[in-house]
Amino acid sequence: MEPDQAASDQTGPGSAETKIHFKVTRFIMEAGVKLGLRSIPVATACTIYHRFFAATVAPGPYDPYLVAMSALYLAGKVEEQHLRTRDIINVSHRYLHPQSEPLALDSRFWELRDSIVQCELLMLRVLGFRVSFRHPHKYLLHYLLSLRPWLNRHGWERSPVSAAAWALLRDSYHGGLCVRYPPQHVAVAVLQLALDCYGLEVPAHAQAQKPWWQVFSEDLSKAQIDQIILDLIQIYTLDAEIC
Amino acid sequence: MERDLLRQALGFHGPALLSLLRTEQHDNPDFRGLLPPGGPSLEPPGGAQHQPPARKEKRIDNIEIQQFIAKKADLLFALSWKPSVSTDSESNEENEDCYAVMPPLEQFMEVPSEDRRELFFRDIERGDVVIGRISSIREFGFFMVLICLGSGVIREISHLEITALCPVRDVPSHSSHGDPLSYYQTGDIIQAAIKDIDRYHEKLTISLHSSALPPSLSSTKLGVISSEDLPLHYRRSVEVASTSETYEKVLHHSLGFANPAIVEFLLGKLGLSESSPPSLMRGLQRKNFNEEDFAFALRKKQSASWALKCVKIGVDYFKVGRHVEAMNEYNKALEIDAQNVEALVARGALYATKGTLNKAIDDFEIALKNCPTHRNARKYLCQTLVERGGQLEEEDNLLNAQNYYKKALLLDETFKEAEDALLKLRKHMQVILYFLLTLIYYNQNSY
Repeated sequence: MEPDQAASDQTGPGSAETKIHFKVTRFIMEAGVKLGLRSIPVATACTIYHRFFAATVAPGPYDPYLVAMSALYLAGKVEEQHLRTRDIINVSHRYLHPQSEPLALDSRFWELRDSIVQCELLMLRVLGFRVSFRHPHKYLLHYLLSLRPWLNRHGWERSPVSAAAWALLRDSYHGGLCVRYPPQHVAVAVLQLALDCYGLEVPAHAQAQKPWWQVFSEDLSKAQIDQIILDLIQIYTLDAEIC
Repeated sequence: MERDLLRQALGFHGPALLSLLRTEQHDNPDFRGLLPPGGPSLEPPGGAQHQPPARKEKRIDNIEIQQFIAKKADLLFALSWKPSVSTDSESNEENEDCYAVMPPLEQFMEVPSEDRRELFFRDIERGDVVIGRISSIREFGFFMVLICLGSGVIREISHLEITALCPVRDVPSHSSHGDPLSYYQTGDIIQAAIKDIDRYHEKLTISLHSSALPPSLSSTKLGVISSEDLPLHYRRSVEVASTSETYEKVLHHSLGFANPAIVEFLLGKLGLSESSPPSLMRGLQRKNFNEEDFAFALRKKQSASWALKCVKIGVDYFKVGRHVEAMNEYNKALEIDAQNVEALVARGALYATKGTLNKAIDDFEIALKNCPTHRNARKYLCQTLVERGGQLEEEDNLLNAQNYYKKALLLDETFKEAEDALLKLRKHMQVILYFLLTLIYYNQNSY
């Protein structure tokens, strides 16, 4: 039960599995907003989802949307922003059947609720009860706070680097970046891409003994950053293909 | 579209980005205004000397990144993403319990002194707060060597030996006579505001008057401070200089890093929102979400529909006289949806039938408040008010009875029974009044 075996999932960038996982993580992100879930619990839900399908023979007999719903429920518990199953069911049902009436309090509703709870237990067992993760978010926020005073004040005020970096980080959960790379590396890569988007340069970058990204993460290299950025851009390309 | 921002990005990436932008965004009306056929001037804003080497380095993935920028340009350069400037000045306190306060970045980067000095003089602004140690006192003012900055810009300047002059007129006097400078001694740690900057000659003038401070920082204390008042980022910087820990170690050892609410706090400091999170995916733009699909709205709609089901069952019980079961169903409905109008009206009717008129009136009133156009609520309320009035009249509580009749008429001026009851009551009250008056008259006359 090695969660990091990426052999079974994402066999290729355009494979059918990757597409399904993309769609379902899109569902998790959208449901997260509609449930008022904060960024960290949403990230936890996506990570649980990716790790689950990395650990099992994917997709197997599991309904990915049910797994996603349970992931949301579990993530809410882990990150102390508890969700009610009723709300998760309502939002999911409406997502999958747009404009439909809310579900009646009948046996089907109770069965759905039971499914979520049972799937949650299954997920916990598959993941070895390891459902607490270190996310890039904390690191990214500190890097932004450290970089802000060093950058030219007008450049910073003019460029929404924080918003762009945060958006890139949130969107990255459509793919499995969170599973493949350590959180500090992802945070740095996202920040580098955000700076590139607005054409901002870190002052004295060439003259310093240590490049700024190595300050944030000692074991990082430029090639690794570039690879993560390419993977991230790949996710957006996938979005254009699917949606 | 943010013009300056776009120019900044184009200046960095060069003409290749411009042509990509034209291809990707050619049907975007906001862009046509900004990209005239001749192309905007590609003068880069400030770091021109860094451009050629940077572009050569990133050659390989530059194309991918530029394509990405071009595709997402309408989102990246949208006006709605502009960060709110106010967040910079208001939350500048370094609260070590809330997050990890870090020493200046350039200390870890080991930037050479000349560059640090150059960048300091490029970025320092009037109104910034500086902290330094007095090096010498003359008759025209005192000189101090800067140790660190107290607000906004955080820099490592303690070893750069930057001096600033505080002229005597910018020193507030502590007594009505005598030299204001006599209060100070060499070696005092002073917090002051930058009054004037000569960037070319690298000369700084500072002031101890709070008028030199910008409005957002006006509560900062200027003058002598103790070493405990030195900002946390400076004290950490001194520690790191002696232990030469890495950034990551300092981060992990900081108590604030373990704060569970750290993400919310820092998002506030950086001006980002959790309720309306930014995204570069077109499908996740918050404005495209329908409020009706949100959990709160769905729950409300669902509660109303579940409650209605219970009410229907309750009404069926009521019709066959099974009042206890009916009441149970109504109460169940109100537990699911406390403000459900149908449930309140049904329960009110049940109370009225059983004779508990006051509770009935309460239920009807809440129902009518929630839905003023509910015909049955209004009708039943009027009827019950009149009935209650009648009860009060029989108990000789005439004034209260009158109030109830009046209330009923207020709700529905065409309600005949209320009108009749009121008139009858008034006649009754008049009779009593005449009787009392006659009694008094006779009593008086008998004396």
